[in-house]
Amino acid sequence: MTSLVSAKGVSKHFGALRAVDNVSFEIEKGRILGLIGPNGAGKTTLLKAVLGLTDCDGELSVLGLDPFRQRKELMQNICFIADVAVLPRWIGVEQLLDFVEAVHPNFSRKRAEQFLTETKVRRDAKVRELSKGMITQLHLSIIMAIDARLLVLDEPTLGLDIIFRKDFYANLLSDYFDEERTILITTHQVEEIENLLTDIMFINDGRILLDASMDDLPATYVELMTSGEKADRARGFGPIYERDVFGKKVMLFEGVDRSNLTGLGECHTPSVADLFVAKVKGARK
Amino acid sequence: MIAHQLALIKREFWEHRAIYVTPIVIAIIVTLGVMAMLVFVSGFAKELNIAIFGAQNIAGEVERKAALTGFFLSTSWFFLVALGILTAFYCLDSLYAERKDKSILFWRSLPITDAETVISKLVTAVVVIPLIAVAGIIVTHLVNLAVTSVWVMSKDGNALLLIWKSVPLLDNWAAALIVTLAGAIWMSPFVGWFLFVSAYTRRSPFLMAFLPLVVIPLLEGIFFRSKIFAEAVLDRGGIPLFRTHELEAMIESGDWRLSGEATNLLTHIDLVKFITSPSLWGGMVVCGLFVTAAIYVRRYRDES
Repeated sequence: MTSLVSAKGVSKHFGALRAVDNVSFEIEKGRILGLIGPNGAGKTTLLKAVLGLTDCDGELSVLGLDPFRQRKELMQNICFIADVAVLPRWIGVEQLLDFVEAVHPNFSRKRAEQFLTETKVRRDAKVRELSKGMITQLHLSIIMAIDARLLVLDEPTLGLDIIFRKDFYANLLSDYFDEERTILITTHQVEEIENLLTDIMFINDGRILLDASMDDLPATYVELMTSGEKADRARGFGPIYERDVFGKKVMLFEGVDRSNLTGLGECHTPSVADLFVAKVKGARK
Repeated sequence: MIAHQLALIKREFWEHRAIYVTPIVIAIIVTLGVMAMLVFVSGFAKELNIAIFGAQNIAGEVERKAALTGFFLSTSWFFLVALGILTAFYCLDSLYAERKDKSILFWRSLPITDAETVISKLVTAVVVIPLIAVAGIIVTHLVNLAVTSVWVMSKDGNALLLIWKSVPLLDNWAAALIVTLAGAIWMSPFVGWFLFVSAYTRRSPFLMAFLPLVVIPLLEGIFFRSKIFAEAVLDRGGIPLFRTHELEAMIESGDWRLSGEATNLLTHIDLVKFITSPSLWGGMVVCGLFVTAAIYVRRYRDES
């Protein structure tokens, strides 16, 4: 079994609102999947369903378990950070390590302590005495010291400065990730994680707009920068999205062979952010 | 399971320092009170000499035992009052604070079930906090006996005879342990109710917990002119732990002199009556239902 997460027709309704609407996807072992969507797209609801924090309709299996009904078993092999500021403020750093060590069979205190020595987090401090950045470092030190098969990060770097964010992602790749592990990550700052991802999934209005491997993007999507009469010809290939940049037209094509477009302007693979905007706005048309 | 419970209960101590700070504060206040009383009494030198003489030579061991037990009771009840207030606040906070500061998402990211978490709070409220109160009672008792001994010796009294040979330590402590634990179990439906409110309410758990206890009997009185709720819930008919007939006999006869046996606190306790009381078991079922509801709410409610 290589499929770590498998969803078939998963839905979650809140009254008339379809937060997640008949979603199907697979996440395989050893991948880093970016789940990208605007606020209220259903990202958090979907993550909650994967983490067994909320019940849902349809078939959802995580590590071969029913996440909602087998939460305790699931949590032995999953870690997640739901939001940066969730560590209780009254707890001390040592207490936190003691507690996680006592309840988590896959936690290595030694590893957590190693991570912590690289930060400014004092071991005798209480969480309330730490800055927001340090709280996140503490939380991540704990999470990264858990030998888990799936790591779920929901906006892990929200509210942190750019240097910290860069360091965080670098550490995640060098110290944590390997072919046995899988990471599912959501963020608004797509540009920062673009190079890290092996797969992306776009979600909007509870539906999946795109579910692709990063390696497959260049073959499917082309961004063309063009102008004037060439732009009209390019339009004939049916761009999914078009925008103006400094008097030039930038068009995004899906499933159009690059060789058809090379004569019409500058071709390259779109950034994830541009592709996302094109997909979301294109879907609204 | 047991290892998890120990870790979870330890966690409660870190979060709710009042669990051990309160008994320490009460112990200090009680000890200072005893000291103040001894200083005050020292002002009456003549009467004091007569009293010590009388206690050593005229009174028998039974009377000394009775007096020391009375001393024990008068210093111990503070702990039980504080225990009640502390437990109520602890329960109301225990499942509310973690939602308010959103740390619940961290706790729930660990491989612990909601049932384990809620049960650790129930055990803390019904067993751990009462046991700490008993420890506080015992330590305070010893400290006060020591302080009083020094004081008696300073008045040329025989502390060994007056205090240490007369004090029924084991009887007093065993009674304190039984009454405190039985009381906690007897009050467990309230613990369950408070835990449920703490897990359920979105704001002001204190108000949400106590308002129904005031409003329901009031409405019942106005509309039905009955007191069923008040009698079933608020009074609960008094805890069925004591042999009331002996106390009643003493009141009826007007003879308050304690017989040798009556000085033992344990002889007033009737555990069989307590354990076979339907009210006790009914209360425990109510507690169980509320705790189950609290687990259910923590497990199923979407905290976003």
